Amino acid sequence: MRPGWRNIIPHIVLSVFSLAILLPLIWVVRVSLTDKLTAYKIPPEIGHVGIENYIEIFSTYPFERWFFNSLIVALASTAIALPLATAMAYAFARFNTGGAFLRLGVLASQMLPPIILVLPLFTLFFSTGLMQTRLGLILAHLTISLPFLAWMLVSFFEGDSASLEEAARIDGATRWQAFIKIAVPVAAPGILAAGLLGFILSWNEFLFALVLSGADSQTLPIGLASMETHAGVEIAPLAAATVVSLLPVFALLPFLRKYLIKGLSLGALK
Amino acid sequence: MLKKLLLGSVMALGFAGSASAETVNILMEGVPDTEYVKALVPEFTKETGIEVNLEVVNYAEMHTKLVPQLVAPKGSYSAIVVDFYWVGEFAKAGWMQPLDDRIKADNFDTSAYIPALMDLVGKVDGTTYMLPFYNYAMGLTYRTDLLADAKNQADFKAKYNMDLRVPETWDEYLKQVEFFTKDGFYGVVNQGLRPDPIAMEWSNYLFANGGEYHDASWKPTLNTEAGVKAIEQYSANVNKYGPVGSASFGFDEAFNVMAQGKAYSYITYNFFRTAYDDPSKSAVVGKVEIMPVPGPTADKGGSLNGAWGWAIPKSSPNPDAAWTFLKWVESKEITKKRALAGGSPTRTDVFDDPDVLAKYPYYPALKKLLLTSHNFAVFTYTPQLVEVLGRELSLAVAGEKSPQDALAAIEVEFTELAKKDGKLQ
Repeated sequence: MRPGWRNIIPHIVLSVFSLAILLPLIWVVRVSLTDKLTAYKIPPEIGHVGIENYIEIFSTYPFERWFFNSLIVALASTAIALPLATAMAYAFARFNTGGAFLRLGVLASQMLPPIILVLPLFTLFFSTGLMQTRLGLILAHLTISLPFLAWMLVSFFEGDSASLEEAARIDGATRWQAFIKIAVPVAAPGILAAGLLGFILSWNEFLFALVLSGADSQTLPIGLASMETHAGVEIAPLAAATVVSLLPVFALLPFLRKYLIKGLSLGALK
Repeated sequence: MLKKLLLGSVMALGFAGSASAETVNILMEGVPDTEYVKALVPEFTKETGIEVNLEVVNYAEMHTKLVPQLVAPKGSYSAIVVDFYWVGEFAKAGWMQPLDDRIKADNFDTSAYIPALMDLVGKVDGTTYMLPFYNYAMGLTYRTDLLADAKNQADFKAKYNMDLRVPETWDEYLKQVEFFTKDGFYGVVNQGLRPDPIAMEWSNYLFANGGEYHDASWKPTLNTEAGVKAIEQYSANVNKYGPVGSASFGFDEAFNVMAQGKAYSYITYNFFRTAYDDPSKSAVVGKVEIMPVPGPTADKGGSLNGAWGWAIPKSSPNPDAAWTFLKWVESKEITKKRALAGGSPTRTDVFDDPDVLAKYPYYPALKKLLLTSHNFAVFTYTPQLVEVLGRELSLAVAGEKSPQDALAAIEVEFTELAKKDGKLQ
């Protein structure tokens, strides 16, 4: 057992850093429960407390539509990207498909500023009727998440799973069985982590959603930004909307935390 | 098979929503006036059977979203709203349809609009491209309770040998700013953030000193006595008579200082007037009034004008339905309803309407404000001029450039822009 004082200093340092991250979040939660007048009071006051802002975002703003659109787009783009990225990463790792050139090409597509892709997509979507639809947004988000997830997953298939697969093949498994029954379960933490990141990428994406969405397909980031208006920031309802829009990520975190950390560190080491 | 299925689902999803009856799509900003329009739209749909779809986005992103739509041969928006910043650019690029034939065919009366607003967001070089939607001219908001206070009146009289009252001239107002700055209370709060907030607010200072941006031939007239005084007064108000940090305040931060009851005055957009009376946003309910920014003499105003206009883009998929909506939303009846809900009118007949006046007793002041207001330099490069102003004014307020040097630099770049646009020979 260490003496108590030795523990105290790291705890103080960690508490300060934790507060630096937590305080803005706590402030947002606090503002979401009060009005604009109280939110900006210096020194801070308890003032008025209530849930009007939470009611207002559903009554005055089409919050449920933004939320639903974000959820559909994020879930669908991740659901499409994840199997494709897994297969792509497996091909890179096992067969070195396309060699270094293709791998770099996938990475390079991530280095393009998104604004370069937006205008061609705009023209393309217009001529195919995909403009201002959720399906269009899902496809647009795939251009971001697919290369990112594939690149992230490569390292999970480059490890020990190759020899495990060989053992399975010797025992009579087909290439497909070895992939599905050995390689994928071994890489599961990474795949889950990649899925979560893909979801968050799409959930937060702004530029594509701005240019390619319409009134019926607006996502949360566009909706939240519209609450900062020419006539001032609607800070109290905005805080309430922010809190609600954080919920899915919070809901996912406890289940995926261990995979996310394992997945990220595995990727980092290799 | 898979290909067919995919193609089928793409078509189904892609065209969903556009198959129903005629719909007017409009891109708008999330401001109170948009809400008032939204509330009345069901009446229009009932009358005409045309659906109206208002898409609301953030102001800073509107231009980004609009331009690809306007460049396309056929876009998604039946009608758009245009900030006066963009008028020059949109007109020069030929993105808006002329409305004169439609106005004539339907006998739509544009003479009801306040002339300065028609110049700003209506006509460009004699052709009508827009109908003025709502105004956001700037005015002086000030604390009436402090002016009425007997002790303040006595102290002011003793110090300046003049009465403390609603200021009639700009110099009188500046004395009040100095007078009220004491004991942690500020005479004024400014929105000194660059580029837009400072450029817009400083314009009032320029006009209040009798200055203008350019003469009739578009030659800049900024490096003058009025321009220099405007910068000196603005710097003093930010650095001496305003709260720390006001050199980087946007309008929201500045409004909050005023709404928390910590300053005597704030020159701002007139639609903030109603927000002062909202107890969830303001600690000074019933204590703030608005007036035109005072000018060099009592008969001249110093307010900067600002407004949005409705337009039909060249890329509109259904311009006829869009016009049906425009003439409905800008009719006397609907503009009056919007004004009664709290909207900022652009028509004189709405300002003079007895029902509107009964609800908003300060509307005569607003009408005077609009009639005596001055327009910003509106040309293709308005946004670029705002950038230049923001940069140079900030340097002058920070004391890194003298007012004369800052104004000279603005004039050089303004001249280049005006020449590039063909305004200045």
